[in-house]
Amino acid sequence: MLKWIQVLWPSFLIAAVAEAVFFTVIDPQELYLFGEPVDYSRIATYSIGFLGFWLVCAASSLSTIFLQRPAKEINRRT
Amino acid sequence: MSNTSPKPQGADADASAQDTLYASRRKLYVRAVSGIFDNWRWALVWITQLIFYGLPWLQWNDRQAVLLHLVERKFYIFGWVFWPQDVIFLALLLIISAYALFFFTAIAGRLWCGYACPQTVYTEIFMWIERKIEGDHVRRQKLDQAPMSGEKAARRGLKFLAWGLVALWTGFTFVAYFSPLEELLQAARTLSFGPWELFWILFYGGFTYLFAGVMREQVCKYMCPYARFQGVMFDPDTLVITYDEGRGEPRGARKKGIDPRSVNKGDCIDCGICVQVCPTGIDIRDGLQYECIGCAACIDACDQVMDRMNYPRGLIRYSTENAIKKHWGAKDILVHVLRPRTLIYGTILALLCAGFVWGLATREPLRVDVIRDRAALAREVEGGMIENVYSLQVMNMSEQARSFHFSVSGLPGVTVDGENLIEIGPAATQSVTLRVLVPYDSGKPGANPIEFEVRADDDPSLSLREETTFLFPR
Ligand code: SF4
Ligand code: SF4
Repeated sequence: MLKWIQVLWPSFLIAAVAEAVFFTVIDPQELYLFGEPVDYSRIATYSIGFLGFWLVCAASSLSTIFLQRPAKEINRRT
Repeated sequence: MSNTSPKPQGADADASAQDTLYASRRKLYVRAVSGIFDNWRWALVWITQLIFYGLPWLQWNDRQAVLLHLVERKFYIFGWVFWPQDVIFLALLLIISAYALFFFTAIAGRLWCGYACPQTVYTEIFMWIERKIEGDHVRRQKLDQAPMSGEKAARRGLKFLAWGLVALWTGFTFVAYFSPLEELLQAARTLSFGPWELFWILFYGGFTYLFAGVMREQVCKYMCPYARFQGVMFDPDTLVITYDEGRGEPRGARKKGIDPRSVNKGDCIDCGICVQVCPTGIDIRDGLQYECIGCAACIDACDQVMDRMNYPRGLIRYSTENAIKKHWGAKDILVHVLRPRTLIYGTILALLCAGFVWGLATREPLRVDVIRDRAALAREVEGGMIENVYSLQVMNMSEQARSFHFSVSGLPGVTVDGENLIEIGPAATQSVTLRVLVPYDSGKPGANPIEFEVRADDDPSLSLREETTFLFPR
């Protein structure tokens, strides 16, 4: 459980900041997806954007946790 | 909290506690308190939540008074309409909030946490519901240990239902800040929310339920960033919840009505009530700890004990490290509220606020972007004139429809050809194409600076100048 929190919570905070900054500067209607203008509603783009940021940040937290494993634990596994 | 030296809780103890977090968390059965500080907390629950739940229902100029309209990318806040270009105000507001937090923390510790933080406020509401349905802390613990029965299932179910309703309402209100309430109500009537609206209602509501109902103090202890760096803003003159060790120790039980000194005891009767009421489950008598959210529940609780024992109140009280050490009274503590740290925080805070208000007051409700038409460069037209075409994007940021006049200056004989007036609805943007003519001999080949002026018809003081260039053929 703690691991989940450590991965999901800091990434949530950072994703919220990233979302706010990104979409303040960029209007979702100006984005292109595979060469096509994004034609989702703005709410959908904001939401997908947020979940995307969250995912990326969570991946980063996850790798931190992974690389942080103490030697003892790694040795035990092998 | 380096400079206020918390008592035990070394780094190791902390780490091992965190390793086993959630798995072995001791569930807290927080005892209810009453008293001055509890009243304050409830007052703030009422104030903050009346504002939070109420604001989306407020109307202003025939629209929702506060609406951060994400779809339109416009923030309506009472008489103001903010556009993405106004992000500076948002940034300023965040900085002001941060400094306010520094300022109040330096003066009196975690005031925010104890009284106004949503985590505290919703936990308070959820605990109140729990108490009403499942009884006081003793009965709740018994109910938890009891085998499943009809009554237990009913009480549990009722509690979860009540929590769920509050959480859903909270999620709905949250979304109503970003998506017009009227549309949401319409959708609610027919249960036809947009997929994303529904997602965010459940998301926010779900987290309210999880944080306030289930996780509670763990959010403060393990998830809150503020709890981690608050120590930086503390100094020996910061008011914090303090147990007066000199007066309380040696603690111990005694009969009512005897002078504690005659039995070689301090004023603490070791009843443990201060621990039972603590929402984070710590013992304030161990000294200031980072887990303490400054809710002052232990002050209220201990004051009642002191009253019953006929001892003076304030064995646990708001005090400062220096005051306890040097036996200061209230007056000395007050004098030390003014010190370099608070003065600096206070000055910066005041300046920021002044800047914010000044910015708002002088903000022009008009913005113009000039783009020269790249397709049609300089062109020679009848009568020996050179023509350039511009596209002007005019944003009317005020709440009334307005018409604007254009004029141009900077070159001898420069004029706007044709219609030079547009009408723009309230809080709207409109593009207009303008053809500008200049006699062929009044400029040099290449770029020449010119200036557009946009002026509101109904308010001559509302005008804007925007520079651009006029091209002459080479
Ligand atoms: S409530 Fe007061 S008297 Fe009772 S244990 Fe706590 S500090 Fe001592
Ligand atoms: S010790 Fe507990 S009850 Fe006392 S102020 Fe801190 S968090 Fe509240």
